[in-house]
Amino acid sequence: MPDVEAENSVWASIPVGDDLGTLDYVLTEQMVADYCRVVDNPHAAYPTVAARHPANLFYRKYAAVMRVPNMGHDSEYFNPPIPGKRITISGRIADKYIRRGYTYLVVEATAVDEDGRLIERSKLVGLARAVGKQAAHGNIAKKWGA
Amino acid sequence: MGRVMTTTLKVGDRLSSVTREVTNEKMIEFEKCVWDRGRNSHSDINAAKADGISRTIASGQNQMAFLHELLEKNFGDSWVYGGKISVRYIHPVYAGDKLTANGIVAELIEHDGKPGVVVQVWCENQNGVKTSAGTVRAAQPSDKRSWIRAREGAPT
Repeated sequence: MPDVEAENSVWASIPVGDDLGTLDYVLTEQMVADYCRVVDNPHAAYPTVAARHPANLFYRKYAAVMRVPNMGHDSEYFNPPIPGKRITISGRIADKYIRRGYTYLVVEATAVDEDGRLIERSKLVGLARAVGKQAAHGNIAKKWGA
Repeated sequence: MGRVMTTTLKVGDRLSSVTREVTNEKMIEFEKCVWDRGRNSHSDINAAKADGISRTIASGQNQMAFLHELLEKNFGDSWVYGGKISVRYIHPVYAGDKLTANGIVAELIEHDGKPGVVVQVWCENQNGVKTSAGTVRAAQPSDKRSWIRAREGAPT
């Protein structure tokens, strides 16, 4: 078996616990309405599902060198976001591992609104792919026949 | 919003399912709403090919949205205020697929100090192929839908 870690030196260089900083945005009434319409759920509680907090934080720092196609999510939901409130998300690399010869990164993001209400904590399980070396979804295509 | 389940769930109980069709238009819109991600393998055929896949696939979060609806419908506040989900995306979803989000109670637990359940959840396509699978933890179903009232400005 090839040395997966050596082959994916970018993945190897990203430390668990790495701080991804913060981002903020206002969740507008229009955003909520758009989300509810697109998912055919007029009362969807968490339009933030479409905001991809972990991925956005990750790519702000690592977009030039690494892709993390979404293989899964581990999420907790505390209080639905209120339209018009500013949401601040903060993130970190929560874990990394090799499974069946593939490198994974777990990216965690926590969302809090301007009143300090905890909204959600979401972990993206991403299949780590080095930009320029591996097609982002190449292994997914092989695995799924996509 | 569908049937409100207020009974106490038991092991083996099936949740009331949710079925939604995935269209190319909605896949594109999903990538733009709330946070515009630009063109990517979920919305643009050229981006998909550059990423190593032959056609666009719906994002995992698109399936997550359907699972949320399943859980809002069946659990109400018990899901929305304190629910946990762990899900893996295991098969591609394409435009034209009809996905059904399902759940079956696997275990009775204590959840945040209240009687709760572990539910096996999954989405499957029109051919019965599972496209995602995972587990949910939540308190037993509530008949309250407080977030809807809160969004409408009414006291909860």
